[in-house]
Amino acid sequence: MKFRKSLVLLMAVIMVFTLAACGGGANNAANTNNAPANGAEGTNAGNEAATEEEFKPEEGAKLVVWDGGEQKPFIEEVGKAFQEKYGVEVTFTEVGADKSVERIITDGPAGVGADVFVAVHDRTGSAVSSGVVLPNDQFEEETKAAAFETAIQAVSNDGILYGYPKSVETTAVFFNKDLIPNVPATWDEVVKFAGTFNDTKANKFAYMWDTGSSYWGYGFFGGYGSYVFGKEGTDPTDIGLNNEAGIEAAKFIQSLTSIIPLKSADINGDIRKSLFTSNKLAMNVSGPWDSTSFKEGVKNLGVAPYPKLPNGEQMKPFSGVKAYFVNAYTKYPNAAKMFASFASSAEYQKRNYVLTGLLPSNKSLAEDADIKNDPIASGFLAQFANSVPMPSIPEMAQYWAPMDAALASLWNDKTDPKKAMDNAVQQMKDNISTGQ
Amino acid sequence: MDLQKQTVNAGVPLAGKAKTAALLSVLSMGLGQIYNRQYAKGILFLTVQCIYIYYIVTSLAGNLVGLVTLGDTPTKLKKVGKLYKNVAGDHSIFMMIYGLVALLFIVILISLYVYNVRDAYRNGLVREQGKRTRSFLESYSHVTQNSFPVILLSLPMLGVMFFTVLPILFMVLMAFTNYSAPDHIPAKNLVDWVGFETFHNLFYLKQWASTFYGVLTWTIIWAVTATLTCYFGGIFVALLIQQKGIKMKSLWRSLFIIPYAIPQFISFLIMRNLLNYQFGPVNQYFRYFGLEGLPWLNDPFWAKVTVILVNMWVGIPVSMVLVLGILTTIPKDLYEAAEMDGASNLQKFRNITFPFILFSTAPILIMQFAGNINNFNVIYLLTKGLPANGDYAFAGSTDLLVTWLYKLTLDNQRYNFASAIGIIIFIIIAAFSLWNYRRSRSFKEEDMVQ
Repeated sequence: MKFRKSLVLLMAVIMVFTLAACGGGANNAANTNNAPANGAEGTNAGNEAATEEEFKPEEGAKLVVWDGGEQKPFIEEVGKAFQEKYGVEVTFTEVGADKSVERIITDGPAGVGADVFVAVHDRTGSAVSSGVVLPNDQFEEETKAAAFETAIQAVSNDGILYGYPKSVETTAVFFNKDLIPNVPATWDEVVKFAGTFNDTKANKFAYMWDTGSSYWGYGFFGGYGSYVFGKEGTDPTDIGLNNEAGIEAAKFIQSLTSIIPLKSADINGDIRKSLFTSNKLAMNVSGPWDSTSFKEGVKNLGVAPYPKLPNGEQMKPFSGVKAYFVNAYTKYPNAAKMFASFASSAEYQKRNYVLTGLLPSNKSLAEDADIKNDPIASGFLAQFANSVPMPSIPEMAQYWAPMDAALASLWNDKTDPKKAMDNAVQQMKDNISTGQ
Repeated sequence: MDLQKQTVNAGVPLAGKAKTAALLSVLSMGLGQIYNRQYAKGILFLTVQCIYIYYIVTSLAGNLVGLVTLGDTPTKLKKVGKLYKNVAGDHSIFMMIYGLVALLFIVILISLYVYNVRDAYRNGLVREQGKRTRSFLESYSHVTQNSFPVILLSLPMLGVMFFTVLPILFMVLMAFTNYSAPDHIPAKNLVDWVGFETFHNLFYLKQWASTFYGVLTWTIIWAVTATLTCYFGGIFVALLIQQKGIKMKSLWRSLFIIPYAIPQFISFLIMRNLLNYQFGPVNQYFRYFGLEGLPWLNDPFWAKVTVILVNMWVGIPVSMVLVLGILTTIPKDLYEAAEMDGASNLQKFRNITFPFILFSTAPILIMQFAGNINNFNVIYLLTKGLPANGDYAFAGSTDLLVTWLYKLTLDNQRYNFASAIGIIIFIIIAAFSLWNYRRSRSFKEEDMVQ
């Protein structure tokens, strides 16, 4: 029995040693596992040294590009040219500029995001603060030299340039010259014209915009001197929508229910478009993205800046800069940067203008004869000079929903302007603080 | 068992073998089995433990630490010369998932460990009684013969753990973090555990609380109303069609089933245009007859009425088909007897038809109720949660909890609030369903109808 016990003890000891051996093996394995990672870093560093001298796409690079559906023909054309020049295949996937940043935040780190994606500049802050975009470093000087200063500012964050601006956009007033020869210079005249033109029973209206939308409604606030996040659009602690100017703007918006006797939910882009193209709406607020389809539907189409506000000031709508961004998790950063730069070059901005009517963000193209002589494009560029770039700090994402609700309740329920704006600002503050 | 009955060793039983075996197995998996002379089994256990220790050391332990810390080095951009490089750091959300996977593996290990100790103890007892333990082949055939269902089910169980339990745990855990825009979206920013803060904000912070209670109240009202209207509407239509003297019954039936046959999202999107206050055909007809028209989707109250009405339109056919089927199963002689006693139509309905219908459809009614709490389609496609409500955070007047959740995740990246709401929805549905189901007669008297 004693012998047996000692045998058992011996075995136990052996087993424990085996276990220790197992553990040791594991440690070794862990070390060897780390080794390739270190090695990879080393080779990356080597690559960097190489790229200092020569910047070219990675071997076997393939790019996926996210852009809006209407940009498909453009991307296919650019992609073909890019492939011919550099041998890098480019695939298009439809993810619009308004959804791309949310998608890349989840898809990028997971390794399934696009290499290059389009975004409107107001999401720059969100994209940068979630670490999903690479700065525009290699082509920084070229980009800065080519694009409008406002466009560069819009896609930068803390002094670092991130985007590759491809187009600018703002809103202005499309009008049907058969119904009204010119957009009136002031709102007083618009109201007067509406008095003679409006016929609610026959669904005829003088002027329309999405009255419950924080994007379309901002022009009034900007014109009265109100602002979203500080005068520069960078101070999230200073929300100026419920200051005196903001309440003045809200009051004025509310007074316009007299010429648009509709609830805000009844007005949307499709309805405005169908009224506009069937000669029942004289003036329709929209952006350059609609110019192609409006040209088809309205015989004598014009674009003009917004009417002046009662205080004598011009309205200052939001302007947006659409830009390409490079996914920070892309496998082919060089190829992606090169494509972003290539597709936003002056040459292809011009092609994009021809193909889809997008307004170039390139300074030299604003002087281009084709664009200058195009009444639609030049109308928008005139309004662009008098617009406010949407703030691009991450907090901007908290602006839309509360402001939508405030504008809708101003319009539909005749809420007291001060109460509505105070409430919206309070919500933005709460939303920012609960996200922190 | 037959093997254990055989007494192989007739010698003196060795005392304390079970304890020794169990202790050895506690020391390391498989030792007790080897002590019990079940060498193959012991080595199998030992190998499993070795593999486990290997993985615990190399990854599982790190993953578990990650689950607790949720990362400490954020992703950064590093400038090398002119170019920036993305230096990937910790991604809190991935760490949470890996941590959960590690946790599941550890749970499996612990259960194996417990099994291993019990097994050693039992076989030790067998040896104490002086019997021979099973050889590996005998154990193998014993397991394949007696525990075959266990083996067969263990693979699906593993699948359930990883594809059902894991995502649910992940969602639940998210509610206790600050994973939300703008400041806590990985990879550049880390996510932290915040305990019950999200729930606290949801229940007490002014904006969130007013949204939460408002949306919750409407969700319950909606679920009850939508379920009852469709249910009784269906019974009414079915009884109407089955009345004596109604001609072309199949034609009426087909007519009523049509709304169900159209894909829901098409009919809702069409309805939305039909019901536009100013431009919709419905109000145009009203105006043609000199009426004002109704603010179908514009007014908070009317929008709620509208979604219930439209839901009746798509929901009644389902109940109708159901009830039509049940009506054919009610024995005719019940009605004949009732007629002999001079019962009125209403009395026949109350005492014969309705109990029959209710009894057969009670479980379905509960399912419909639970489904209506989560009825995303009707609300989102018809109203998008509008009309806007200035007092609500990220929600409109007709938003249900589930559409609010959708807006919070996909439009506003408030993942922590969304998962807190997800948990609450789950609790509500589970509670209502259980309570209701246990009260229903079909649960209490399973054998009433065969």
